[in-house]
Amino acid sequence: MKKKVISFFLAMALGAVSLTGCSSSGSSSTGSQKTENKGTGDTTGQVASTTKEAVASSKGEKKAVTLWYYWETVKHQEILGQEINKFNESQDQLTVEAKYVPFADFKKQLSIGASAAELPDIVIIDGPDHASYASMGIFADLTGKVDVSQYYDGPIASCTLEGKLFGVPFGSNCLSLYYNEDMLKEAGQKVPETWDELKTTAKALTKENVSGFAFSGVQNEEGTFNFMPWLWSTGDDSLAINNENGIKALSFVGDLVKEGCMSKEVINWTQGDVMNQFISGNVAMMINGPWQVPTIRQQAPNLKWNVALIPKDNQFASVLGGENFAIIENKNIDASLEFVKFVTSKDEVKSYIDGFGYIAARRDVADAQFSDDLVMKKFAEQMKYAKPRGPHPSWPEISDAISLAFNQVITETSTPQQAAEEAQSKIDGIIKK
Amino acid sequence: MNRIRKFFQFENIGYLYVLPALLYMMYFVGYPIIRNIVLSLQNVTVKTLNAPVKELIGLNNYLELFRDKIMINSLINTLVFTVACLIVQFMIGFALALFLSRKFASAKMVRGLLMIPWMIPITVTALIFKFIFSTNVGILNQSLMLLKLISAPVDWLTSPGTAMFALVFANIWIGIPFNMILLSTGLTIIPTELYESASIDGANRIQSFFRITLPLLKPTIESVLVLGFIYTFKVFDLVYVMTGGGPVNSTHMLSTYAYKLSFGIFQYSKGAAVANIMFVVLLIVSLFYLKLTYEEEEA
Repeated sequence: MKKKVISFFLAMALGAVSLTGCSSSGSSSTGSQKTENKGTGDTTGQVASTTKEAVASSKGEKKAVTLWYYWETVKHQEILGQEINKFNESQDQLTVEAKYVPFADFKKQLSIGASAAELPDIVIIDGPDHASYASMGIFADLTGKVDVSQYYDGPIASCTLEGKLFGVPFGSNCLSLYYNEDMLKEAGQKVPETWDELKTTAKALTKENVSGFAFSGVQNEEGTFNFMPWLWSTGDDSLAINNENGIKALSFVGDLVKEGCMSKEVINWTQGDVMNQFISGNVAMMINGPWQVPTIRQQAPNLKWNVALIPKDNQFASVLGGENFAIIENKNIDASLEFVKFVTSKDEVKSYIDGFGYIAARRDVADAQFSDDLVMKKFAEQMKYAKPRGPHPSWPEISDAISLAFNQVITETSTPQQAAEEAQSKIDGIIKK
Repeated sequence: MNRIRKFFQFENIGYLYVLPALLYMMYFVGYPIIRNIVLSLQNVTVKTLNAPVKELIGLNNYLELFRDKIMINSLINTLVFTVACLIVQFMIGFALALFLSRKFASAKMVRGLLMIPWMIPITVTALIFKFIFSTNVGILNQSLMLLKLISAPVDWLTSPGTAMFALVFANIWIGIPFNMILLSTGLTIIPTELYESASIDGANRIQSFFRITLPLLKPTIESVLVLGFIYTFKVFDLVYVMTGGGPVNSTHMLSTYAYKLSFGIFQYSKGAAVANIMFVVLLIVSLFYLKLTYEEEEA
């Protein structure tokens, strides 16, 4: 009997050895060794915690609340860290811990987390994605639990689905026109206010190594974000593109490229790339958001630039960006809500929102913001014309159809008419579902 | 009882040794595969991800995918990409291996240096090539203009026709060292006496290459090609960083399209179906490879 037991354990031990041997030979035959050796770009496993650990409490157990965010700007991370520390020190029941998840992985992590029931307690999420996750049923219904009477309509709409409130807006931003003052002066141009003026100015500014104008046209949400102001400026709605207005917006963007005053490479430029081209003087005017302001001031202190409303066709328009807090539907809801209420309270928002480069989603804070910063004041003015994307649970799919359409036009693989028609049939199919 | 005792006799103990490995494989390899197949037969999107019961819709996802232009394109792209890369990588890798198998002073060092592309993380390589192929600031266009080979900058990464070429080019650069090093190792095991006696018999270089090198190198060549096929077919990071499947979806591979479906527009089931199509292709190639190695071990 004894012998058998020993031989059984021996077998297990040998098995363990053969197991390691097996796994390594297995991976070489499927080829995953290559990716292991080369360190792929996939950062799934590397969720780095960048916020300072909460101050350890000496008074017994505190309840832990976790939060996920994707801000990669150091300044943003610092401000979030400060707010969390402030909250953790203000009471002795809860400890909030923040985790940074890269933007590229955020949706993936959240989707995987949703199906594996391994979610944080709070997420800071991109506005247009809010409805999708709310429709997954992972967010807690906050209707009536938070006072949102002081908020702007756009941000509130982005966290509302079927009349129910599924989040609290954090802060907002929108896109505006940046222009290089020196280049404009040199070419004897004034700041464009309409589409026609934009085109003639951009043409006048275009020289050998300088494109007159640029906006990020990548084929994803970022590109759609930058395209929507053109579509809306015609007076159009995001869900109807195959009409005179939609085709006009597509044609305008396509013509900018065709006539040489915008580089075709914008389809590979993120908003950060566009800003870098602007700073290095390769681009004379660009569309970008207020979060770039601190960076530009820091990296190009000698550059003379300013901000204006995005030139209009029929009406001024911009697109609303920004993040919302959402609370995951779990047993920690009340604890999470306490933190969210703290961070979104009037006094707290007032203390950090300027440094963040955002416009407060609370009207009672935004009104008094940036009294001595003319650039940021311009963004606040542009906010009046900013509309939210969606909100629709399938917005990512709708956005995909729109971004494909303007990419087709920019690369001249389709005419604006064909692109609009194709996008419309996709959007109709999505809405009907 | 007797039967159980009989089973645990000494000659059957081998099964026990295999058991842990079997359990491991079943849990970490078998389960995800089966889960993915089930997922591809359901209709899981944002709205149904957390539903307790998920509707089975049979092969509908697959049928829809085969009517999807982008899907068909990705399949063709992946095959074209794989075959083009494989052929060029193999030829250049083989030529380098032959060259470096000659005994000259710096052969070892050069071989080491040539491994560098293989060791750089793919994301970094992809970013570098993105700069190289950039229309206005890329070094490739600048050089070609200086040499007067082109009169205007070429839109390498921003027009559907040339983006694929740029991807193939970048991947070949990465893949050459892999082919070179495996073929080099294969070459070292061919005894030099064979070449000596062949040259005494009056065989020239070309004859000894076709009569000695190629036949003796056959097993190595087979595994290089099959492994190369599997590696290349699974390409993701390079494409994701360089073009993201664009412009206008023209360079989507099966892997990037599966990712986009699942995590870009939340069509989890369709994404799983694309991944399964990839899996089937690779399974066939792997079985072919196993058969080859099995036959060689037998012989």
